[in-house]
Amino acid sequence: MMSTDQRLAYMADQIARNFAAIGHDKAAMATADHIAKFWDPRMKARIAGLTDSLGPVAARAIAILQEKGAPPPQTHATEYADVAGAGHDDAG
Amino acid sequence: MGWIGEIDLGTKPMPVTGPLVSLTIDGQPVDVPAGTSIMRAAALMGTNIPKLCATDTLESFGSCRICLVEIDGRAGYPASCTTPVTPGMVVRTQTDKLAKLRKGVMELYISDHPLDCLTCSANGDCELQDQAGAVGLRDVRYGYDGANHLDAAKDESNPYFTFDPAKCIVCSRCVRACDEVQGTLALTVDGRGFSSHIAASQDEDFLSSECVSCGACVQACPTSALIEKEVIKVGTPDKAVITTCAYCGVGCTFRAEMRGEQLVRMVPWKDGKANRGHSCVKGRFAWGYANHKERILNPMIRASVHEPWREVSWEEAIAHTASEFRRIQSTYGTRAVGGITSSRCTNEETFLVQKLIRQGFGNNNVDTCARVCHSPTGYGLKTTFGTSAGTQDFDSVQHSDVILVIGANPTDGHPVFASRMKRRLRQGAKLIVIDPRRTDLVRSPHIEAAHHLSLRPGTNVAVLTAMAHVIVTEGLFDEAYIRERCDWDEYEDWAAFVSEDHRSPEASAEITGVDPDELRKAARLYATGGNGAIYYGLGVTEHSQGSSTVMAIANLAMATGNVGREGVGVNPLRGQNNVQGACDMGSFPHEFSGYRHVSDPEARAMFEDAWGVPLDDEPGLRIPNMLDAATDGAFKALFIQGEDILQSDPNTAHVAAGLAAMECVVVQDLFLNETANYAHVFLPGSTFLEKDGTFTNAERRIQRVRKVMSPLNGFADWEIVQMVAQAMGLGWNYTHPSEIMDEIAALTPSFANVHYDALEEHGSLQWPATAAAPLGTPTMHLDGFVRGKGRFVVTDYVATDEKTGPRFPLLLTTGRILSHYNVGAQTRRTDNVAWHPEDLLEIHPHDAENRGLHDGQWVSLRSRAGETTLRALVTERVAPGVVYTTFHHPTTQANVITTDFSDWATNCPEYKVTAVQVSPSNGPSDWQESYEAQAKRSRRIEPRLEPAE
Amino acid sequence: MIPDDLDTIVGRLAERFSAQRGALLPLLHAIQEEVGWVPDAATPLGARALNLSRAEVHGVVTFYHDFRREPAGRHVVKLCLAEACKARGVGAIEAALADRLGVGIDKTRADGQVSFEAVYCLGLCATGPNALVDDRPVSRLDARKVDRIVAQVSA
Repeated sequence: MMSTDQRLAYMADQIARNFAAIGHDKAAMATADHIAKFWDPRMKARIAGLTDSLGPVAARAIAILQEKGAPPPQTHATEYADVAGAGHDDAG
Repeated sequence: MGWIGEIDLGTKPMPVTGPLVSLTIDGQPVDVPAGTSIMRAAALMGTNIPKLCATDTLESFGSCRICLVEIDGRAGYPASCTTPVTPGMVVRTQTDKLAKLRKGVMELYISDHPLDCLTCSANGDCELQDQAGAVGLRDVRYGYDGANHLDAAKDESNPYFTFDPAKCIVCSRCVRACDEVQGTLALTVDGRGFSSHIAASQDEDFLSSECVSCGACVQACPTSALIEKEVIKVGTPDKAVITTCAYCGVGCTFRAEMRGEQLVRMVPWKDGKANRGHSCVKGRFAWGYANHKERILNPMIRASVHEPWREVSWEEAIAHTASEFRRIQSTYGTRAVGGITSSRCTNEETFLVQKLIRQGFGNNNVDTCARVCHSPTGYGLKTTFGTSAGTQDFDSVQHSDVILVIGANPTDGHPVFASRMKRRLRQGAKLIVIDPRRTDLVRSPHIEAAHHLSLRPGTNVAVLTAMAHVIVTEGLFDEAYIRERCDWDEYEDWAAFVSEDHRSPEASAEITGVDPDELRKAARLYATGGNGAIYYGLGVTEHSQGSSTVMAIANLAMATGNVGREGVGVNPLRGQNNVQGACDMGSFPHEFSGYRHVSDPEARAMFEDAWGVPLDDEPGLRIPNMLDAATDGAFKALFIQGEDILQSDPNTAHVAAGLAAMECVVVQDLFLNETANYAHVFLPGSTFLEKDGTFTNAERRIQRVRKVMSPLNGFADWEIVQMVAQAMGLGWNYTHPSEIMDEIAALTPSFANVHYDALEEHGSLQWPATAAAPLGTPTMHLDGFVRGKGRFVVTDYVATDEKTGPRFPLLLTTGRILSHYNVGAQTRRTDNVAWHPEDLLEIHPHDAENRGLHDGQWVSLRSRAGETTLRALVTERVAPGVVYTTFHHPTTQANVITTDFSDWATNCPEYKVTAVQVSPSNGPSDWQESYEAQAKRSRRIEPRLEPAE
Repeated sequence: MIPDDLDTIVGRLAERFSAQRGALLPLLHAIQEEVGWVPDAATPLGARALNLSRAEVHGVVTFYHDFRREPAGRHVVKLCLAEACKARGVGAIEAALADRLGVGIDKTRADGQVSFEAVYCLGLCATGPNALVDDRPVSRLDARKVDRIVAQVSA
C-alpha cells in the first residue's frame, strides 16, 4: 500500500500525464489549476515538499502554485457557474 | 391485478397528428384523435364498454369477445377495442342483442371458473367479477360439471406472486405485458383450444423460467390468477400514496398501496414520467427490508469498536455525537472531521448533511458515493458541454435511430429504462455495444447488437479515439453543426490529434483487442445512422481514465451533431436513486449546491448570509483522501449517512485501516452495515417509506417521496441530522422537508422554481427549473451548449498502471445483477436472494480449463491488494483473459481485491480493472475468516438496562 | 431417442432459415423431418439460434398438433374425425382400426410399431372417411381398406 506522500506524488503525476498531450507549459498550468481547485489545503501543503519526486510537468505545476498562486481556469471543469447561472452541473 | 382507483381506458392513447375524428356513441357526439379505438372513445366520454382482454397499457388484442358493439352500416358485432373510429361513425354500446351476446360469452368464461369470490384474494379487485356484474350474468346454464381447469396446480415458486391456472381466463394480458412492456417474452400460451393455458417458458415454474419477476404480468392480470402473495396474506389495499422508488437512478414512481399503515404492494404508477407504468423486481417487490428483523431501531454508542454496542436514548446519542465532534475539532483542528452524504437519502437530507459540515463543522470535508461512481461524468461533461447533466429525458430513446451503449448493463442495472430501450430496438433502431462482457443487450430475444466491440478492460479511451479517427478521416463529421455550436479551432486541434495514424482502429487493435473492421463499421453507423444516442455507465467512469472516456464520448457526440434535440445526446445512467440529487445538493468537497466552487466569493457570500457564519474557501477532502489523512493521524471523525464505504469502496484493507484510525465514526443507517463494525455511534435511519422529501433521477427529474408509514426508528433522517445540528448549537428549526427545499431553491439558481406546491401540481420537474424555464428542462443544450461553445478535448490514451503479468495474468472487472442493488444491504434482506444467493466469479471456459476449474467450484481470487474466495461460473459471457464478479454480498468482499488506482481527475476508483489470478480453493481466505470473526464481535449489542421506575 | 448431435442438427438447420422472417415454422418442420419429432430439448436450441425466447418456441410447438413432442411409431395412421367424415361413418372405422392396430387414438403402440392419430380434415371431404397412412391419403375407408392398412403397418 502506498504511503500518503507516495499517493499524493502519484496523483499529481497522473494528472500531469493526462494533460501532457497539450504540451508542457499548458499541461503544467492545467495541472496547477486542477490541484488548486480540487485538493484540500493539507494535501497542497504536502505536495509542495515533494517536488523532487515529481515528473517535470507536475513539478512545474507545483512551482507555479508556489510562485504565483492558483492560475485562472484552464479547463471548463475548473471554470465555475456564476451565482446566477443555472443549468450547470458536475454531478457524479 | 387491476389498478385500484385508477381508470383504465381500455386501449392506448393516440397522438394528435391531425384534425380530431367526430363520431356518435349512444347518441352523444365525441371527438377523438384519429386511430383511437371505439372502446377508448367511449371510455373518454364516460361509457365503459365491458371488456376483459383490453387494458390501456397494452396493444389491443380482440380476443375476449366481450367488448362487442353495433355500428350503423356494418354487419356483425365488431370488437370495440380493435376497431378504430371513423368520421361520422354511429356506434351503439348497449342493445338487447349485444347484452345477449356478452352474457353468453361471459357464461362460458364463468362455467370454467371457481365460484369462490368471497374467499378469493382478488375479491373486490377483480375485473372478471366486475364484468360478470356489468353484463348482468345471473346463472350458468351449462352447470359446472363439464371438463374444466379447476384442479390445475398453483405455481408458488416465485417468492412474490403466485400463478393459479384455475383462476386464469387465458386473456393473454400477462403474455402481452411480458412481450410489449418488459420485452422478456417469458410467457406463452401452451396448446390450443380448451387445453390452452398460460405457461412460463417451456411450461415450467415461474422461478426457473426466463421470467425476471418485473411484475408486469401481475399488474396486467384481470383476475387473481397472478397475484401478489402479500395481497393473499394481508387483503386488498384500501388507499394509495404516490412515491418514488429508492433503488436505481431510473426513479420509477409507484403507488404504495396500503391498509392503514401496512404496505400491501407497490404498483408502478401509470402516469410516472420516468417509468411510464413499469417496474422491476427490486422496486416492485423488494421492499421487505423495511421491516426486516435486523433493522436497528435504537441509537447505540460505544467507547471503542472492541466493545459491544450499548443502546442509549436519542438524547444521549445526539449529545454524545455533538460533543465528540467538538472535542475532536478542539484537539486536532477544524479540518480533522468530515462527513459523507447519502445518495439514497432525499435531496433535503443530503442538503442538511453538507450544511451541517460546512456551517457546523466549519470545513468542506464532505463527499458522497458519487465519488466512486459518476464523478468523472461531472468532470468530463462539464469540461466539454459546460454541465454534466444528462442531456435527455428517458422518453428521448423513443426517437433514437442508433443507440450506443458503452460500459453499461442496463437490463440488470437500470431494468425499467432497458425495457424502453429494448422496445425501441425491436422497432428497428440499431445498437452498438462496447463492453468486455457479452451482456444481455448484445443478444437476447429480439434484440441483437449490430456491433459488439468486446474490448480489453481499461482501453475505452483508445477505442473511442479510434472511432473518432474513423469519423474524422472518413469525413463523417457534421461540419455545419460543429461550426455553429462548437469552438472550431479546438475541433481542428482535436481532429488533427485523432487523425494521427497510430490512433486508427488498425493501429490501436493491439491495445484494445477490438477487430478494426468492426470498429470502423460501428463508427460509421453511429455517425451516419440518424439520431445517435449514447448511454453509458460505470464501465466508463470507474477507470483511471474515467474522465477522459467521458470527454471522448462527448467529443464523438459533438463531432456528429448528436447533442441538443430529442433522440440523441449523452446519457449517464446513474447508479443510485438520488445520486444526481446528492451531487446537486453540494455533496462534493469543492462546491456548493448548484455546482458553485467554494472559492467563489459571490457564491460563498450567499451561503454565509443565509447561514450566518463564515465558510471555508478551500476545497475539502475526498473520501479516499479522508482515509489517507486518517491513517496519517490528521483526520479523526466521520459522520456517514446511509453509505457503506467499507463494502462499497475499493481496497477494503485501506478503508478499514482509515476507519480504525479514527476516534469517532458515526453511522446513520438502517442496519449494522459493514462500516458500522468500525463505528462508535450508530443512529438508526428511516426508510424511504417513512419520510417526506424528493429524489432526483438520472434525467434530472425531481420527484416527491411521500411518507406512507411512521418511522419505526422514531425519526426521519432529516430530523436526526437536525437534532445533531441543534446539539451543536446551529439553531435549525425546520418543521417539514418543504422548508428545506425552499432554502435550496433560494440558494440554488437551477432549483429556483422547485417548490413542493409546484411538484404537487406538475408531478415532477426536471432542473434547471428557473424563471426562464419554470416547468423544467427535458432536453439540454437545445439552442447551444450551456457554456457557449461546445469544447473538443484531446483525450490521450494513458494506460492504467494496473498491469497483468505472470503472477496476475487475468483482468477482473466488476458489476451488478438484476435482483440485487449495490452492496445488497436492502436486497439481501428480501426474497431477491432466491435469484442470486451469492456472488459468483464468471470465467471463460478456456481460462477455467487451464486452471483445472469446473463450474460451481470454490476458487481463490487474488490481486496485489488482497485475496478472497467465491464460486466459479464457467461462461462465455466473458472473453478469455477476463473474469467478472458482483459485489452484493459482504462475505465475498470483492473489494478486498480492487486496488487504490483511480481516475486521474476525480479519484473515482478503478473498480473495472484489477489484475488477478484465479486458482482452486477449499474455503474462505484468511481475510474472510478474520473479518468474519471481527464483524461478529463488533456487532454485539449489550442488553439495555431499563431504569427503575 | 434424442440424437446426441441435436445441437449440431438444430444449428445446421437454423442456418438455412435464419435470414428469413418467420424462420421458426420452417425450422420446426425441418427438425421434425430430420429427427422425426421435435424434442423439448430442441426448443432452447432453436430459440438461441433464431434469437427467440424459449417461451415463444414452446408456444408454437404446442399450438400445432402436427409437431410431435414424442417420437412416433415406425408407421403413422392419421384418421380424420372431422364433421364430414363423421357423417360418412368414420366412427366405426375408428373402432375397427383401434381394435386391429391394438392402440387407441392419439397413442403409439407399446412396441413402437404404429402411432394412431386423429386429424381434423384432410380436405378430401367428398371421398370420406379419409386417413393418411405414412403420409399417403387413403379414401373411402371400409373394412377392406382397414385390412390393407393393418397389413401395411404391420410390416
